[in-house]
Parts: sequence; C-alpha cells; structure tokens
Amino acid sequence: MADPTERARDEFLSEAQEIVETLSRNLLDLDASVRSGSIDPALINEAFRAVHTLKGLAGLFGAQRLGQMSHRLEDLLDDLRLGRMVLGAEVVDTLFVSVDVYGRLLAMEREGRDEPTPAVDDLLARLDKLGSEAPSKSTPDSEYELEPGLLAVLTEYEEHRLRANLEQKMRLYRLRVEFDLTTIDKALEDMKARAKRHGEIITYLPAGEATSADAIELDLLMASRDDLATLIGALGADNVVIEEIPRRRPSLVGGEPSRAPLGEISVRGAESVTPGGAQDAALDQGPSLRSLTQTVRVDIRKLDALMNVVGELAIVRGSIARLAERLRAEGQRQLTTEIQRLHRSFERRLAEMQAGILEVRMVPLGQVFDRLARVVRQIGREMQKEIRLVITGSETEIDKLIVEELSDPLMHMIRNAIDHGIETSSRRAEVGKPPAGTIALNAYQKGNHVMIEVEDDGRGIDEQALLEKVVRLGKLDADDAAELSREEVLGLVFLPGVSTRDVVNETSGRGVGMDIVKTNIGRLGGIIDVQSEPGIGTKMTITLPITLAIVSALMVHVANQVFAIPLSTVTEALSLESAGSRMLDGREVITLRGATLPLCRLDRVLVLERGRRPPPRKSYVVVVALGNRRLGLVVDHLIGQQDIVIKPLGRSLASVRGFAGATELGDQRVGLVLDAAAIVDEVLSGSDVGRERGRLHG
Amino acid sequence: MVDLARATRGERLARRASGRGPVREFLTFVLGADVFGVELARVKEILSPPPITPVPRAPVEVVGVCSVRGLLVTVVDLRVRLKLEARPNTRRTRILLAVAQSGEAVGLWVDEVLQVVRLSEADMELATTGVGTEVSEYVLGVGRPQGEFIVLLDLNALVMG
Repeated sequence: MADPTERARDEFLSEAQEIVETLSRNLLDLDASVRSGSIDPALINEAFRAVHTLKGLAGLFGAQRLGQMSHRLEDLLDDLRLGRMVLGAEVVDTLFVSVDVYGRLLAMEREGRDEPTPAVDDLLARLDKLGSEAPSKSTPDSEYELEPGLLAVLTEYEEHRLRANLEQKMRLYRLRVEFDLTTIDKALEDMKARAKRHGEIITYLPAGEATSADAIELDLLMASRDDLATLIGALGADNVVIEEIPRRRPSLVGGEPSRAPLGEISVRGAESVTPGGAQDAALDQGPSLRSLTQTVRVDIRKLDALMNVVGELAIVRGSIARLAERLRAEGQRQLTTEIQRLHRSFERRLAEMQAGILEVRMVPLGQVFDRLARVVRQIGREMQKEIRLVITGSETEIDKLIVEELSDPLMHMIRNAIDHGIETSSRRAEVGKPPAGTIALNAYQKGNHVMIEVEDDGRGIDEQALLEKVVRLGKLDADDAAELSREEVLGLVFLPGVSTRDVVNETSGRGVGMDIVKTNIGRLGGIIDVQSEPGIGTKMTITLPITLAIVSALMVHVANQVFAIPLSTVTEALSLESAGSRMLDGREVITLRGATLPLCRLDRVLVLERGRRPPPRKSYVVVVALGNRRLGLVVDHLIGQQDIVIKPLGRSLASVRGFAGATELGDQRVGLVLDAAAIVDEVLSGSDVGRERGRLHG
Repeated sequence: MVDLARATRGERLARRASGRGPVREFLTFVLGADVFGVELARVKEILSPPPITPVPRAPVEVVGVCSVRGLLVTVVDLRVRLKLEARPNTRRTRILLAVAQSGEAVGLWVDEVLQVVRLSEADMELATTGVGTEVSEYVLGVGRPQGEFIVLLDLNALVMG
C-alpha cells in the first residue's frame, strides 16, 4: 500500500485529470456555441469553476506551474463571464491550448516533476497578448421597475447577465415560487432546468414571507424572450406565481438604449451573503474540499480482483451442486431439498453480483470521443482543412479497460482520415462537395458487441496506388495483385509499412499507422473492417466485445481437452454429419443455407494428441463469424454455455497464437479459451483466396 | 547425491553452525541425477502438482497451465530448460511457484524438493566452471556445504523465459 501522502497525491492527480477532461468537454460545447452565435453563459461559468477548482487543488499540493497557469486562466474566464472581454475564436483556441498544457503538466506531476516548461510560458505569453478587448460597454437603460433592494444584492456576474439580457431586448419576469424546505435543492434545479428552455434565471432571493414552517418562498428574476402566457404555460404550477416586471416607459420597447447605466445603481459588497449569491460566494471563498458528486474513483485492478472472487464463488457453487447430487444419491431427501434451495439462492445472488461489478466497469464511449474531438480540431487546423465532426452514440457503454486502449487507435484513424481522406477545400469545391469535410464517429451496440465507425466524406482509398505501393514494397508480386478482390485490396492498408501517401508529414503518412491500429484492436478481441468508395469516402468499422472481464462462452471438447469459444463470435452450432462435408479446392467445406462454409478441424490445426483413441464418430461444427468472414470449427462434442472469466496467458506463452487466455473450469482444472479471430485469420489466410495475404504476412 | 542431501537433523544443525559471514538461504531440489538450489526468498510456494492443462503450440519446455487459488500459473519443466534427461513423474514431484518480473506466475517442475541450506560466502563459488555452457546463463554458481555439490540456479533468469 502506498503511504497516505502518495495516495492523496494520486487522488489529486486523478481528480485534476477528471476536471481537465470536463473542461475540455465544456470547451467543445463552448466552441460550438460561439460558432452558432449564441454563447451559453452557463458554459463559461462551468469552465470558470473548473479552472478555479484546479487552482485550489494545485495550491493544496504545491504544484506551482499548475497553480500559476490556473490563476491566469481564471482571470481570463472571469473577464469573459463578466462580459469584460469578447469571446472570440482566438480566445477559444487559447483555452484549448490550455487543456493540452494541463495534460502535459499533469503528466509531469505524475512523474514528480514541477519544473519550468516552455509550453506554460508560451501559454502565459499568449494569455497576455489576448489583453482585454473590452466590448464597447453599451449601457442598457434600467427601464424596468426593479426594486432597488433586488439590484443591490446582485453579484457582479448576475449584474452582467442582467445587462446582457437587457441588451438582447429580453423581457424580465418575477417568479414567486414556494418551495418545500426538504426538497428545495432538487426543486430549484428542476425549475432552472425547465426555465432554461425559455430564458435565463438571473438570480433568486428569499421573498421574505414564510407561509409555513417547512416552506420558503423565493423570488426568481428571469429574463426571457417569451411572453407571459407562454411562460405560465411552461413553468406555471400551484406553487408558482409569474408576473412580468413592467417597464418604466413602455414606449421605449426596442428603442435606443441610453440613460443611467445599470451598473451604477449599486454593486453588492463582498460581505453581503444572500441565497442568491451563495454559489458565487462559495467560489470566492476558495476551493471547496467537499466532493461535488457522490462518486468513488476505483482502480480497475480492484474490480478485477473482485471479479476473480466471483469466479471462485462460482466454483464453490459448483461444489455445492455436486454435494446436493451426492446427498440425493444417498437418499437424504430432506437435506437435498434444503441444500438445493440454498444453491439456487446463492446462484441468483452471484449472478446479481457479477452483473453489478460488470456495470461498474462500464463507461460511456463519450470519454474517449471527447478527447478525439479536440484532436480533430487541432489536426484540422494544422492541415488547414475545415472539419466538421459529427458524433453519435457517445453514450454507448463499454468496459473501462477497452476505452483506455481505444484512444490511440481511434486517433490514428482520425488522423488518417483528415490527412489522406478529406481533400483540401479548393479540391472539394471542384468536385462539388461542401468546403468543410465531415468526419462521423458513430458508436452503437449490436448484441454483445460495440461497433465504432469512423467515416469520412473524402476522396476514398486509391486502390490502384495502394496496390502499386504494396508491389513496390515487394510484399506482393504483380500477378498475385491482379487477382485480389476489391475487398482484399482494401485490406492491404493494414499491412506494415503501407501508406497511400508517399509524403511523410507530422500527422500521418509514415505508414506505421494502420497495422498498429489493427494489432491494438485485435488485442482487445476486436476486428476492423474497411470500406471505401472513390470520391465518396472511407468508412472503418471496429467491432469490439462489450467487456473483457467476463464472457459467455460455448464449452467444447476436442481430443479430450476442454476449450471455450467466446459466444460473441459464435453464430450457431450443428452436427457435422447432417451437414455433410465435401472437399472444394483442397479444403473441407459444408454448405450452410446455400452458402459455402470452410471448415477447420481444431484437433489438426492445434495438433492435439488423440492418443490411441480413434476420432469420435459424431462431431459438431461451431460456426464463428468475425465481420464478414465465417469459419466452421469442427469439435468432438458440445458441452454447453458457461460464463467465464478470461485470464491472460503469461509472457512465456506470448508467442502462442490461437488462444485468448485460460479460464477455470470449476473442478480445479483450467480450460483454454480460443481466440476465434486469430484462428479465422490463420485458417482463411491459408486458403486459396487469401494465400497472397498469407504470404504477405510471412 | 540424494542420500547425501537427505541429511540427519544433527548434521543440519552442525552445518548451520559452521556458517561464517553473511549467510544466504537456498532451497535445494533434485532434477535428474543432480541437486540444485534456488534462493529461498524468491520461492513463493511449493505445490503438489494440480491438474495441468497442456497448451497446444507452446514451447516444448512449457508443461502447461494450472490454477492455484485463482492464479493462472505457467508450468515450466526445468529438466527441458536445463537440458537434463527426462524422468517420469513420481509422488515426490513438486512445483516451485515463483513470480517473474513481468508479473507472470511461473511454476518450476522439479523431481523432488529436499531442504533449505544456509550457505556462507565461503561455501559458495560464484562461477560457472564445470557446468555445461548451454545452460550457464541460468547458473549462479555452485555451493559446497560440507563436501556436497549443489548447482545454484538464478531464479530470475529461469522465470524470465
């Protein structure tokens, strides 16, 4: 166990990391809202809070650079949220840079270094240069019949929001709402959420007239474009009274703003604490040490350990079942019934526990997509290409471990798409495409799999150039090349050293990308397919298992050894005899619903000893499918379905292909888990069609 | 050899007393016709062989994998690795469990576990003379407690694979 300081430090680092990630997400939204022309003030506020918390954390842990940088960013964001500075593209860029610098600083902190970094200095210089292009302070008239008491307690921020809303010719409303004291927090949040669609709640204050001991009335000051009737329709309730705050001179609607600036009426003193100012007051008092959410950060290894315990409990369950069997054989009917009841209850709880642990491991893919969104922005800029990123399905959940391993491969794919796929805007104009290239990142669940697609609307893969390159590299001779199908040609992009571009640049084109992508995805038990249409675009599809921790598997016997085949790859199983195998081009095949299915005899491909026993008279075909490739594995006997925990084989077995790991079978024995993807790859590469590819790999 | 190694309690005590200088503890075991030793601190456990699942396509020295209370162990036949003659397993066959630096749990298959000997520096010769060169990378040296001859093996090198 690490000593307490170490642990606190780890906590600090992971919390800081989390905040930076939230900040990054937040900036993306902000970026979008700047582009759309209507900046959501809540986003600036959130960014401000994030940086503020980071500053506090940095202070607590003596991370100087982090603190210094956060301090400056906080100033910048404060200016932004108070309208002292205009939020333009350059400011957003600088904020994005700060996220990267944060990432670098945190990485250094993790290594225990806190030393001068040019990146920080650059950022600080950049922040200085931004200066304060203060907006021309338009001074909206305080044309509303606002009570001076109300105005007196507005924070600087609230005052700014009020001014901003009035500039946009919003109407002002007072909502008097009675809240139950026990549920006020939630009810108020609900109210704010509902109000958001119609406008903005600028502040809220106690109305001062308590109607009962367990209720409180608040006055909400709200700005909205909608009229009173609409608002009453949307927000009205028994406990809500809405009235419009009348203007002093109704004739001035839409007129020239002039007169005494609102800001001069009164500015709240720092010490006046009101419920309305509570949030900001808390901010001003330095970082809160209380966590905002009720979440626990857990090391994934701890979950693995728990999962192992579940696996062992499953073994205990098996023993209990055997014990019950024995009791029954001995005629102990009473005891048998009791122990069977216990067994069933145990089984149920165990399943719940397993499901619970699995659920904890699941995280939305959004975690990695958000990071990618930043990368897209950055690369697009470097390549001077305008990129529109469309993300769908970021709520799709997948095992935390897989998410961690996904960001590098996806980044490679996106870099490739932007660099090789998307054309320059002038070229796009020539072919009649919109100037901005689109990259779509889609995720969805399909059975036990999660599919992730990276799609671009660029020029597509030049198959001819790709073939020539592969031939030139000496990985394929020209005659063989001519015989490849389209699909196989596209598959060549995953060969080591292949790049469709000869120019090597900073982004991609070194030709080290796609083969590594394929290897990394394969290590996660996934596969990758590529589709491409010249002039229309390229789509890469990754198919991944939902979790690595526990899988349903089909248990089979081959030559007296038990093997597990992950069910996610199995489409069906049938008797070999009824299917009737035949030879086709030197390969054993069966016809399954009109299609030819190649067979693979597992005992031969794995070179299993059968001893003196003859091969079984009856055998079965387990059909596995990966992407669009199918293969029938011939086994002696089907045992049944079982949930298994896969443990990786050790390093001394790293060179052994064909197995995804091992699992406990329950009777102290261990069974090997077949790596269906590797076997399909291996067997089908040896086939006529894929022989070229086999040679390529060799 | 085996007889020599299976010393009486008195002899063991005497041996312990004879130690001079810093002392290292080695677990001795039999492989084929010879006595070997590995540093005791690195051996996590001595196991009676559980059922072992052979791994097709594995290197010849890997006997297979087994599970020790949930831990997946790769079992290595030391006789193959040290190029010794194979011997049928007996009821004395044991597995020495060690954890490699890579985190892999490795079980070393040995013919028989003998005892723990404490060797002072005077009893050890940290050289590789007189041992086959092919396997010398695994050999730490030889120990000569009381005229016996023990080949001291480097467990780190053995489990590195």
